[in-house]
Amino acid sequence: MNKQATHVAAAMMGTSRSSSAFPRPDVRVKIVAGVAILAAWQVGVAAFAPRFVAKPLGIAAAFPAVITDPAFQAAVASTLGAVLQGLSFAMLTGVIIGIAMGRVKVFDRLLNLYVNGLYAMPMVAVLPLLATWFGYESNARLATIVFAAFFSIVINVRDGARSVPPEYLEVCKAYRAKRRHVWFDITLHSSLPYLVAGFRLASGRALVGAVIAEFFVSLEGVGMYILTHARSFQHNEAVVGVLALAAFGLFFEWVMNWVMRRFLPWARRS
Amino acid sequence: MIELINSDARWVRRATFTISILLGAAIWEYAGHNANPLFMAPLIGSTQSPGVAARLVDFIGDSQFRAATLSSLKLFATGFVLALVVAVPFGIILARLTLLRVALESYILVLYVTPMVALIPFVLSILGFGFWPKVLVVFLFAFFPILYNTLEGARSVKPELLEVAGSFRASEWSMWQDILIPYTLPFALTGIRQATGRALVGMIAAEFFLSTSGLGEVIMVASRTPDMTNMLAAISLITILGVILMRGAQVLEQKFSAWRGVDG
Repeated sequence: MNKQATHVAAAMMGTSRSSSAFPRPDVRVKIVAGVAILAAWQVGVAAFAPRFVAKPLGIAAAFPAVITDPAFQAAVASTLGAVLQGLSFAMLTGVIIGIAMGRVKVFDRLLNLYVNGLYAMPMVAVLPLLATWFGYESNARLATIVFAAFFSIVINVRDGARSVPPEYLEVCKAYRAKRRHVWFDITLHSSLPYLVAGFRLASGRALVGAVIAEFFVSLEGVGMYILTHARSFQHNEAVVGVLALAAFGLFFEWVMNWVMRRFLPWARRS
Repeated sequence: MIELINSDARWVRRATFTISILLGAAIWEYAGHNANPLFMAPLIGSTQSPGVAARLVDFIGDSQFRAATLSSLKLFATGFVLALVVAVPFGIILARLTLLRVALESYILVLYVTPMVALIPFVLSILGFGFWPKVLVVFLFAFFPILYNTLEGARSVKPELLEVAGSFRASEWSMWQDILIPYTLPFALTGIRQATGRALVGMIAAEFFLSTSGLGEVIMVASRTPDMTNMLAAISLITILGVILMRGAQVLEQKFSAWRGVDG
């Protein structure tokens, strides 16, 4: 996981490990490739696809208007707000349950079946159920986000709490450390990298959950923005919505890498 | 007492597991009997109105339902296999052609973090209804995790190994067989595990939002009726399917994980 984090960081800074000594040709190659992809898209779509299909030049032309559109800004705020709210709730409860499962065997044995099962269940499948339970409104979206994020956090925190180095626990025992010290100073601390890994997974799933819920419940948000514009054949505008989602994804990824580098440099290589 | 329930003795483990199942079933049963039947259905139910477990058994004999399951599985398998067949060789080619890898990896990362659900409206309005647009959705969900992770493996191939092989005039095929495939395989399998989960999401999402079919249709119809027993039974079946597929992918991944970073 950490190795992957370094790679992602390297990829995002426009360098890669094998050729980090020569970053500049790398950047040039990337730009050339990007331009080539965009050109192929433009020409290919113009030649073979119906007129309404998005083309890079059309997207660029639509971009400023969409970004300044208050409806689009409201949609972004609505989706992002719900994702952050859902993620914080999932994180708070997920960490508690994850640590309890990792450190106390009864909890693990009681909950393992359900946590693993619900983690493997595709979250779209419960969407109609959540919509029935929480009503066709924003609560259903929030519930979907929590559901999507919760189990990946629990699973990762549990693995983290399990993998506390036994030496630390022995030292704690030898010095008769209080239980709360063992839990919060040792266990929580050494499972932090796992929490970050879980949070990375959870943020991706939460974003997917938010968009799917918006499609399903017809709720204001980026997903709905994309859906309505794609339906009315304004694909260029809709693609800007997709770009916003990709930007959220990259932003979460970037924040996680920053947190790893800034606060958890000791967790680099296990 | 606390010592006892936390002990590793086999009977304690088994007892806790049994209690866990019974407790879960009891909570479900209680909720099913006491909640509004529009919101919840019991697991066992009464003889007049059998619950989810009985419905699941009924499903096995129901040819319509069997057809729905098969259609879902066909959709999943087609999209997933296509993604596999394209993404893995492409990733390995990127391991071989470093320049191409450097050129494309940032864009692959961007597509990997983009929620692919957002592309469903485009697939719908360009390609319309039918089987193949749905396959495309499953393909999109599965493709980027596999490619991204295979690329991760491609980065782990040491350039020295390829240079040595080249200077001993190894054939292209033996380079693939002895260096590229063994190095990238464990990473590709991580991607395949991730892709399994995502492709299942893609499968259900495609069945919901494009032309409804398969298990997605069963859930949709049940949510409109509303027939909670059918809905919960279909969701349970999908969960079982998900657990089996994920477990299989995990086993496969662990089997080859020892190959990862032999000398790194």
